[in-house]
Amino acid sequence: MSEATTAFFKDLDRRGCEPLLMKITATVRFDLHEGAHTSHWFVRIDRGQLRVSREDRAADAVIGLSPELFEELAAGREHGIAASLRGDLTVSGDPRLFVQVERLFPGDPRSRGPRRVVEREVR
Amino acid sequence: MPGNTVRILDGNTFVVSAESGDIEATPNEPTGLFSLDTRFLSTWVLTVNGERLNPLSYDDLQYYEARFFLVPGAATHYVDAKLSVVRERAVGGSFRETLTILNHDENPVELEVRMAAAADFADLFEIKDDRLSKQGEIYTEAESDRLRLGYRRGNFRRETMITSSVPAQFDQGGFAYTLHLAANEQWVAEIDVRTLTLGPGGRDLRRGLRAHGDERLALEQDLKEWIANAPQVNSEREDLTATYRRCLVDLAALRFVPFSLGGAALPAAGLPWFMTMFGRDSILTCLQVLPFTPELSKTTLQILAALQGTRFDDFREEDPGRILHEMRYGETAAFEEQPHSPYYGSVDATPLFLVLLDEYERWSGDADLVRALQVECRAALKWIDDYADLVGNGYIWYERRNTDTGLENQCWKDSWDSISYRDGTLPPFPRATCEVQGYAYDAKVRAARLAREFWDDPAFAEQLEREAADLKERFNREWWVEDGGYYALALDPDGRQCDVLSSNIGHLLWSGIVADERAPRIAEHLVGPRLFSGWGVRTLAKGEARYNPIGYHNGTIWPFDNSFVAWGLRKYGFAEEAATVASGILDAARYFDGRLPEAFGGYPRELTKFPVEYPTACTPQAWSTGAPLLLLRTMLGLEPHQGHLVVEPRLPAGMGRIEVLDIPGRWGRVDAFARGRLDLRQHGD
Repeated sequence: MSEATTAFFKDLDRRGCEPLLMKITATVRFDLHEGAHTSHWFVRIDRGQLRVSREDRAADAVIGLSPELFEELAAGREHGIAASLRGDLTVSGDPRLFVQVERLFPGDPRSRGPRRVVEREVR
Repeated sequence: MPGNTVRILDGNTFVVSAESGDIEATPNEPTGLFSLDTRFLSTWVLTVNGERLNPLSYDDLQYYEARFFLVPGAATHYVDAKLSVVRERAVGGSFRETLTILNHDENPVELEVRMAAAADFADLFEIKDDRLSKQGEIYTEAESDRLRLGYRRGNFRRETMITSSVPAQFDQGGFAYTLHLAANEQWVAEIDVRTLTLGPGGRDLRRGLRAHGDERLALEQDLKEWIANAPQVNSEREDLTATYRRCLVDLAALRFVPFSLGGAALPAAGLPWFMTMFGRDSILTCLQVLPFTPELSKTTLQILAALQGTRFDDFREEDPGRILHEMRYGETAAFEEQPHSPYYGSVDATPLFLVLLDEYERWSGDADLVRALQVECRAALKWIDDYADLVGNGYIWYERRNTDTGLENQCWKDSWDSISYRDGTLPPFPRATCEVQGYAYDAKVRAARLAREFWDDPAFAEQLEREAADLKERFNREWWVEDGGYYALALDPDGRQCDVLSSNIGHLLWSGIVADERAPRIAEHLVGPRLFSGWGVRTLAKGEARYNPIGYHNGTIWPFDNSFVAWGLRKYGFAEEAATVASGILDAARYFDGRLPEAFGGYPRELTKFPVEYPTACTPQAWSTGAPLLLLRTMLGLEPHQGHLVVEPRLPAGMGRIEVLDIPGRWGRVDAFARGRLDLRQHGD
């Protein structure tokens, strides 16, 4: 069930440096709420260097959502900003961090990207 | 909209009402109290003893406040008014209305004062497209001290909370006061209307996210500082000083604080439909006002960089490196019925992002920002070369991937019929429009400077310069319309020219892609009888099949468009032609009390004597507000050069003397003085 979630964080941790976050030094915690139980993913960003742990520690931004929604986000089938506008995902702390971290989620796998007229894909 | 409307706004919270202050919205009219693209009040009607009130007058005191003077009874018999009602309202965080009732009679009166209140929670897009069909549940909760109007769809919750400073009787349809007023007694109530964006647990998602305090005094102080920080313009022509003042205040009003930038502001596009960030509009407005309010540029660049595309998303038309087109916060964006979360369907915002960064640095000397945005700039350049070149011939093309809710024309002339051949037929997709190729050329030339001076990458600079030179050479070969002596509006995928004469050629001058020997022909067209009306340059020339003086992009005159045309003319040394365009638009501004609309009719000046406003134009609109400022810059010849501000005024004789004091930049603050000396020949028709 949480395959994409685990793979997503594993990948972040392995990635080491993320160019999209080079300007950021901050901490972000994802709280995945399932009934009374909440599981945590804690991401430390140090000028683009990423470290992921399962700690429940104070963070500059805390993003709360269901494990199901996270799974969809991690697979690119749901969109983080739209989900936050719907109230399906909440951000406390610095909202700028959410907008930055949201960009780490993959695009929709059904998207084909720009297509040249000769039907050669550009991507 | 029937009758006149009164509009007050702060950021993306605004109120549009009748002259009485009443709101009686219909599904397809943008009247009401709006915040975050949602209508939080659609009914707001005041009655006294069951009678509607009639307006004697109203004042827009500031952009965020208005005052209405009313008497009971219909217009035909209000002479016998023994009662005055004053409504004073302001937005700024919440919407507040102060009701004052004065009894002028020598006898006491019993009054039933009632405000009908309701909210349909329409998304702005539902109003725009006239299809309101709420899928969620609307609820009303009347409590002893408040009225809650709410809307719920899943976790999406918006609530209007109405309270009063004096006790009122709240019910499902509004609230009321039962009053006994002695002779000459006065009664006052303050009503507070809060717009809540509630997350799970009832917490307001926007808490603490504001540029300035919510209170009226804070808004007043903020506006004072805004005006004090901007240069001062003095002119012998009073209307010019007034126009400048109007523009500054409107720019203050149009500042928008996005959710994701922690308090900094950028220009929103326009009231009422576009109180949000737009890549194109925000960037072009920043370019227009750079000599006057440079801080808007920095914020705009930062926020657009923060939201730059990183992945492929066909619904939002997102690509890596692409700069966004439009962000929205309402229900249709939230539930992905519209793609604005954000939507990326524009092809000019990305090159213009690079242009603004370079221009901003030339004025401000903010090298840190140029270094900080290097990654984003390289991504933007890659988007221009790779993802935008749908035909594979080195131009920027567009063809929407979101065929349901995406935009067909992803250039500034974005209406469905804006791009045509001379016979009036519309070309197939993908399409490439000329001005965007100019922006791409300019972006590369400017990025080359940034690479050399700030990114320590001379090889990349040389590569960009080679690419730019190559683009210019090809463009001049493939886009020149031989039998017209101008550049085609667009190319179709087979390379066939959309060979109409359009205002877009003025943008080409601004970008620098026009071959020097061809520039005189272009200048001649721009102030010639087919394009120039006497007020300004038409979007499409008279004589073209689709020309229509009130065609949205097919003949109307757009002040913003003209300001860039004038800048382009001046860049190529056509000072007189630039001054001609500038004078026309600034003359037109007089007829709108200094607040230029989005567009006005392309009728000849001699025919109408006054500019005819385009029917549904937005006002104030950011890039129309910025136009007079760019025209001032153009006429005064303000240009940063090697760390200094060069002033080379070329003013028409009728402008008299103009001084612009305290122009901010890397030089500190500098004054510019000019006197009108140019004798303009009669241009246009």
